[in-house]
Amino acid sequence: MSRALLVVTLVTLFVEGLQLAVFSTWRVDGVVVMAVWLWPLAMGLAGYTTLGIWSAIVAGVFFDTHATTPFGLTAVVGVALAYGASRLGREGVGDLDSAAWWVTPVLAGVAGLVAPVLYVALGAVALNFGLWRGSVLTVMVVNALAFAVVARPVTRLARAVGRLGGTRR
Amino acid sequence: MGVAAALLLTILYFTVGVMSGLRSAANLVVAPFAWTVDQVARPIGHIFAGTINYSDVLAQNQKLRYELGRAQLALNEHWALYRELQQVTTQLHVPFVSTLPVVSAQVTAISPTSFAATVDISKGRDNGVLAGMPVVANGGLVGSVIATTPYGATVRLITDVRSLEGVTWGSGSTSLVVNGRGVNNGLGASSVVLTTTLKPGTMLVTDGLSGGLFPPGIPVARVRQVTLTPGASTYSLTLEPAADLAHLSYVDVVQWEPST
Repeated sequence: MSRALLVVTLVTLFVEGLQLAVFSTWRVDGVVVMAVWLWPLAMGLAGYTTLGIWSAIVAGVFFDTHATTPFGLTAVVGVALAYGASRLGREGVGDLDSAAWWVTPVLAGVAGLVAPVLYVALGAVALNFGLWRGSVLTVMVVNALAFAVVARPVTRLARAVGRLGGTRR
Repeated sequence: MGVAAALLLTILYFTVGVMSGLRSAANLVVAPFAWTVDQVARPIGHIFAGTINYSDVLAQNQKLRYELGRAQLALNEHWALYRELQQVTTQLHVPFVSTLPVVSAQVTAISPTSFAATVDISKGRDNGVLAGMPVVANGGLVGSVIATTPYGATVRLITDVRSLEGVTWGSGSTSLVVNGRGVNNGLGASSVVLTTTLKPGTMLVTDGLSGGLFPPGIPVARVRQVTLTPGASTYSLTLEPAADLAHLSYVDVVQWEPST
């Protein structure tokens, strides 16, 4: 398990680098595609609960240290996505092999829609009431589309990384 | 490894503060990965651009935008200066941006999230940049400094949902509070009384009221749309920032503090 954690941590840090160097700069209609949410989601869809949550924490915490938004929010949303997806993944709902080809993209798309809402709602819990005033709808749509498009290859990568770490689902 | 990490965090904590320490530590860890990705992504971007000297052209373009922005700022300030001159009898010795010292800085990073409109700049406390100082560029007010480290600072842009600015126009007899509406949505003002005479194209400048967050006369935004709800006693404004916030490369931090 420790080897798996190490591998996932390294890959997550690369995803973090990808987020900061590419996705946060190349915006779609001014919106940042949140790879730091997509990666834990994909780990979850691949059926890795612990690794998914771990990657969400690592990605979220490092991301939040670069932003002025409430610290820890990105991580909490990532954990929720990873956990929810892993429940589905373990039941084979989002499984790449047995489920219909469109199931994984649809689940990722729904996650892309839900994540910004969850973020704003948790922000309100953290007494930060201004987050909803931005372009939340645009953020939802862009992330949903982006997640849906790349869900299958990223989930395949997540499955490969999980196997590389020697972890069984 | 854990002990080394704890030691590093402790040192950073005692030297630059908790959040700054966390940010510095996180940057140390993530920087090699971000650098590697950047090294791969950048050439791909250049290939797409189809230009051999793309980087040089980009840098030159950024520099020119900066100079153009300064010229636009000066132009906009001339209009405000004219108004200031009209009121000179009552506003002698009021500080104005063109007479205040500035610290020029390069924008090093933009906010990585859609939920905050901020940029990081290359000058910090060691260069006299302090929290609360206004930041101007590209023809108008960009935002204000919200956090500093010895070698850098974070600027909250005027489009951030947590930004508020007191503005005025025309003779300067009326003031309004405008607020950011998010990265893509510019600025706005609501509950503007019907007796207020504002029309599209009007330039709004900082009012510089006593105790305000900004010195007077900095161009903030132009009125883009005036929306009147039938039956309402007030109307709302949609504003377009005077500064080109989409292409920030260099900025000037105005060394002015609210209490001065």
